[in-house]
Amino acid sequence: MRLRDLGSRPAPAAIRSLLSRIVRGHGPAVPVQRRQIPYWQERGWQQRGNAYTGAYQTRHGAFAGEIRQHHGNDIEFFLYQPSDEIQRHSHWACFQHQGNDWYLVHMGRRPKDVSSGILAIERLVTEAFED
Amino acid sequence: MKRLSVVVAGTGQIRDVEIQPGTTAGDILNQLSLKDYLLSKGPNDPFFANAESVFDKVNDGEKIFASTKAEVGESLLCA
Repeated sequence: MRLRDLGSRPAPAAIRSLLSRIVRGHGPAVPVQRRQIPYWQERGWQQRGNAYTGAYQTRHGAFAGEIRQHHGNDIEFFLYQPSDEIQRHSHWACFQHQGNDWYLVHMGRRPKDVSSGILAIERLVTEAFED
Repeated sequence: MKRLSVVVAGTGQIRDVEIQPGTTAGDILNQLSLKDYLLSKGPNDPFFANAESVFDKVNDGEKIFASTKAEVGESLLCA
């Protein structure tokens, strides 16, 4: 005899699960809620009182920063240890050394919120690396 | 027609819009009543000019940012 019937045995769980999903079809779509959070928060900055700490993030690297919001749009932006590329940027004169490698970034046009200022500095850092 | 999600950077509020070919950044900002704001795809990209057509530069379903005008430095003082 060239063939012998060995009986039947249950398929492995993974295959049973796959077949069962095929038979049932896809389940109902689950709507995922979008997080509506300010940009500073989305970028991982931490707020403590009127001060924020975090990093200005670009595709060229991240630079530590601190932000102090005194009131309204009176906001000071600080950058720690700017790279050589930033120091060669045409706006380098707008970075005022505060000691200990911290620089105050002078804003010619002041942002109305912390997030817009972060975006402006990240854009400048990107320019510094790409120009 | 393309759908865009405009994130207001300061608040994180998301405003969904549909745009047609020729829609400018200014059209979007006006529609959303975002005066003194600028649109961009993010920190790695420049701001869209107000009169610039946005349609060809974004993908359907893309998230873009609206932020208040801000500029490092002032040409007369520190450039």
